[in-house]
Amino acid sequence: MAASALFILDLKGKPLISRSYKGDVGLGDIENFLGVLQQREEEGTLTPVLPCGHLHFLWIKHANLYLVATTKKNGNASLVFSFLYKVVEVFCEYFKELEEESVRDNFVIVYELLDELMDFGFPQTTDSKILQEYITQEGKRLEAGGGRVPSTVTNAVSWRSEGICHKKNEVFIDVVEAVNLLVSASGSVVLSEVLGTIRLKVFLSGMPELRLGLNDRVLFELTGRGTNKSVELEDVKFHQCVRLSRFDSDRTISFIPPDGDFELMSYRLHTQVKPLIWIESIIEKFSHSRVEILVKAKGQFKKQSVANGVEISVPVPGDADSPKFKTTAGSARYLPERSALLWSIKTFPGGKEHLLRARFGLPSVRAEEEEGRPPIAVRFEIPYFTVSGLQVRYMKIIEKSGYQALPWVRYITQSGDYQIRTS
Amino acid sequence: MPYLGGEEALRELRRALSNPHVQADPARYRGAVLRVIRLMAQGADVSGLFPEMVKAGAVADVLQKKLVSFYVRAQAPRQPQLALLAVNSLRKDCAHPSPAVRGLALRTMCGLRMPGIQEYLQQPLVNGLRDKASYVRRVAVLGCAKMVKLQGDCEVDGALVNELYSLLRDQDPIVVVNCLRALEEILKKEGGVVINKPIAHHLLNRMPDLDQWGQSEVLTFLLRYKPRSEDELFDILNLLDGYLKSSSPSVVMAATKLFLVLAREYPDVQADVLVRVKGPLLSACTSESRELCFTALCHVRQILRSLPGHFSSHYKKFFCSYSEPHYIKCQKMEVLCELVNDENVQQVLEELKGYCTDVSEELAQGAIFAIANIARTYTEQCVGILTELLGLQQEHITSAVVRTFRDLAWLCPQCTDAVCQALPGCEDTIQDSEGKQALIWLLGTHGEKIPNAPYVLEDFVENVKSESFPAVKMELLTALLRLFLARPAECQDMLGRLLYYCIEEEQDMAVRDRGLFYYRLLQSGVEEPSSIQWALWSWELHLTSVCAFISESLVSEGNKEVPEVHPDTLMSEGNKELLKAHPDAGSLSLIPDVSLTAEQFEKTWLSLDTSCQLSLPWCGPVHADTIQTALRVVHIQTIAMSKAGAQPWKAYLSAQDDSGCLFLTELLLEAADSELQVSVKQTEAKPEALQSFISALRTVLEAVAGLES
Repeated sequence: MAASALFILDLKGKPLISRSYKGDVGLGDIENFLGVLQQREEEGTLTPVLPCGHLHFLWIKHANLYLVATTKKNGNASLVFSFLYKVVEVFCEYFKELEEESVRDNFVIVYELLDELMDFGFPQTTDSKILQEYITQEGKRLEAGGGRVPSTVTNAVSWRSEGICHKKNEVFIDVVEAVNLLVSASGSVVLSEVLGTIRLKVFLSGMPELRLGLNDRVLFELTGRGTNKSVELEDVKFHQCVRLSRFDSDRTISFIPPDGDFELMSYRLHTQVKPLIWIESIIEKFSHSRVEILVKAKGQFKKQSVANGVEISVPVPGDADSPKFKTTAGSARYLPERSALLWSIKTFPGGKEHLLRARFGLPSVRAEEEEGRPPIAVRFEIPYFTVSGLQVRYMKIIEKSGYQALPWVRYITQSGDYQIRTS
Repeated sequence: MPYLGGEEALRELRRALSNPHVQADPARYRGAVLRVIRLMAQGADVSGLFPEMVKAGAVADVLQKKLVSFYVRAQAPRQPQLALLAVNSLRKDCAHPSPAVRGLALRTMCGLRMPGIQEYLQQPLVNGLRDKASYVRRVAVLGCAKMVKLQGDCEVDGALVNELYSLLRDQDPIVVVNCLRALEEILKKEGGVVINKPIAHHLLNRMPDLDQWGQSEVLTFLLRYKPRSEDELFDILNLLDGYLKSSSPSVVMAATKLFLVLAREYPDVQADVLVRVKGPLLSACTSESRELCFTALCHVRQILRSLPGHFSSHYKKFFCSYSEPHYIKCQKMEVLCELVNDENVQQVLEELKGYCTDVSEELAQGAIFAIANIARTYTEQCVGILTELLGLQQEHITSAVVRTFRDLAWLCPQCTDAVCQALPGCEDTIQDSEGKQALIWLLGTHGEKIPNAPYVLEDFVENVKSESFPAVKMELLTALLRLFLARPAECQDMLGRLLYYCIEEEQDMAVRDRGLFYYRLLQSGVEEPSSIQWALWSWELHLTSVCAFISESLVSEGNKEVPEVHPDTLMSEGNKELLKAHPDAGSLSLIPDVSLTAEQFEKTWLSLDTSCQLSLPWCGPVHADTIQTALRVVHIQTIAMSKAGAQPWKAYLSAQDDSGCLFLTELLLEAADSELQVSVKQTEAKPEALQSFISALRTVLEAVAGLES
């Protein structure tokens, strides 16, 4: 890996933070970064890895900042990018938002963190919960303890420190499934997949041992149960804490969880599901005079379920004006800055159908620049429902002190990358 | 920065820092230190405060120590003498009861980067390695690497290396990984850290405790280990199995690589691994982070190179989404090209067709080139789509389509008729040099199939004065001459006009020379050019169209992986024509891929007498790459070669025919623009084979010489 330095730059390419880990990259080198970036952008050959002389810049953009790692070796690019995203994640947990202002305001802590996150170009402690134990924003706690060092560092379980205590012992389980959909302009489904994640919020004392039971088809087959209400999970990935060997041998998901919020596992489903919200649209453009848009949205899920916060964003020409809307439900707004019309419906019950009619004026002079054909994008959230039918059957919590803990389960299906192309 | 770095501000800070009242109040003291750091971060020169800051480091407050540490590390290289002051108090901190302070002090000392610091570092580092707090051990281990780096060329301390090797057994996972990293740095010259059986197995057992960074690095280190037996190999593979499903893409990639390397001799296992990483790779390709998505796509392309069609059933995952950045869309289009098969070709082409009309010109052209790529296998469908695109009459689209047509007419001659039918009308839309060249080339080469070809070229001839690209004029000259040979009646007049213009009025020397050359060629009669044209144009073809083909596919490459270009496969067409034209080449067949080391070559060379010697005319400099590539096409390997421009320039070549007879050759060029001396030695006396070999060699060298002059 060995990133020789890490820089945080503002949008003008001026370094806000520079931390050289190996002493072989100077401030002079990073000055070239924006130039190289802009040049490649003009040529249309921009990539996340930019070579510049003897150096390579690996960069990501977050809010109004560039985070740039430099390397002189043939480093592992995906590792460096994962690390940069980890840095963003850690900073976000510290300052809520990572942007120019928060970096300027907290530059001391930023340097402190960079010192702990990486040493000599190698990632060190990157778990933000553990970092928060000994790097605090006030620094006052440290004073009192005379510089206590993280106890975790010597633990066998690196993601959980000992002696955690909660008044109320609870676990919140969120099963979140995101639906990615791509529909072609002719109305056929090009791509449909479900990405599921199980997120846990753990408030448990001590070193609890957890076991999660799901209606996993492979497990049901192993134990000889019927398979009709089970789900076939593909491409399952777990948090580091899950004992993979046990999962491989008998599909048991057992683990000692980190404290607080984390993603326990993710999976995907390739089986084609019926698009939950089906969109049909007619966009008629009469040059020099007007655009007429007709959108029909249909909820193709169970009647008992309700989709919340449905937002349908329909592209309109950038030079459109004087919008007029008519909807059978919800309200529509014109967002000129996004060249789109946003139709929002607070509650959308299954099986219902809604219509939107919109009309925009067009200037008589045509704009010079040609526009792309952005797709119609849909956002929604359906609570108490999973597309895959995945269910949490049990969550067993065992701790040696023997306390009773409550698991709470919540199911949500939401839109991921949900797009309908327009012609 | 007059105010920030102003004397006034510094003086005030110095006063504050040395004020006993301030020093007594931790909050105020820290505030003052913080102000110094702020000034430093803004670029002011605060070096004058060094003594005060060092003193400020000697308090109980850890945060203040940290701030002072930033300061000292930044300022030390500028004032090595003063930095020694800091070393003293830092050494004291290394014995502090709090591990946080010990670790910080050690890290600060190792980060000082000034000459002579090593002697002060040694003892604290050794203590640090044995510290009971793992936090300090982590810092100390990497500190060793930093110290060795500072030392430069000095001998590596064996005791230190042993100590680090023994720390590989440390309880703390980060210490273990840091040890590997440090040893790798320290032993760089000796080839890095040694992974023997006990270490390998120990690391494998520690894998579950490591974080994702550690895991992927350890997996990379394990690449060095070679299992002794088959059983051991499969035990290791079993242990590593779970990491193929890790949630971190970098661990998955590292594990895949290790699997592929370890299972070198078991193609089934390798194939199985590639099947199993399909899922993780695909999900990385749809990852939220564009950069990770990009790296995953690069990996997919690598895999497709060895397993074409591996992702064919998942082709839909590589359809572009509207909001993706260009570099991802380009990678996806490349992937789509490579996984096309009979079942999905229709859908893939349909999708790519949609991208051809994208607002971004680069993307649209990229999509057109992608379709052209597929056209090599599914010619008819693709040519249909490309022809349809011409109807849009968009400048950049038409230009790209015509360029692909040129390459297609060359690579898939069966589609020439379709291409020729589509061409009329294009000349009005094309404006750029590349597009014009392609169109002119097509008109010249296949002019006999395009009824109005002479009239289109005539337009170009009419406007040649206002033509700004010399390359277009060159192309026009060649094309018109070719068309003249095919359709003399229609072209004679305008060829005359063009030649007249080129010779009398043209400013560009290359164009003028080409004009003169053709003029003189024609003076010798019409027969002469016709016989020469094959040799000449084969080479030109390879230069213009094939090179363009390679460079076009290069443009869209990410820089993550350097694409492997096989000039020999692309060039072979052109060269084979050349060799076929030579009647003697047929009686000899040389074996490709003869492996002969330089030593073997030298031994054989010295033991043999020269069988044949000849000299060839040569002018201009030598282009080693061109010669090497050209020779490889006829299966002659280059053993060694002087650098371009060296005088005398030498090259040693070897080849072997199917009976096992070796041909060893020396090329010697005393000075540029002289004669190339060729001496050939043979392991068996076979005069006939020798003659064929020499004539083949001669053809290639003459062609290269002709190309370069």
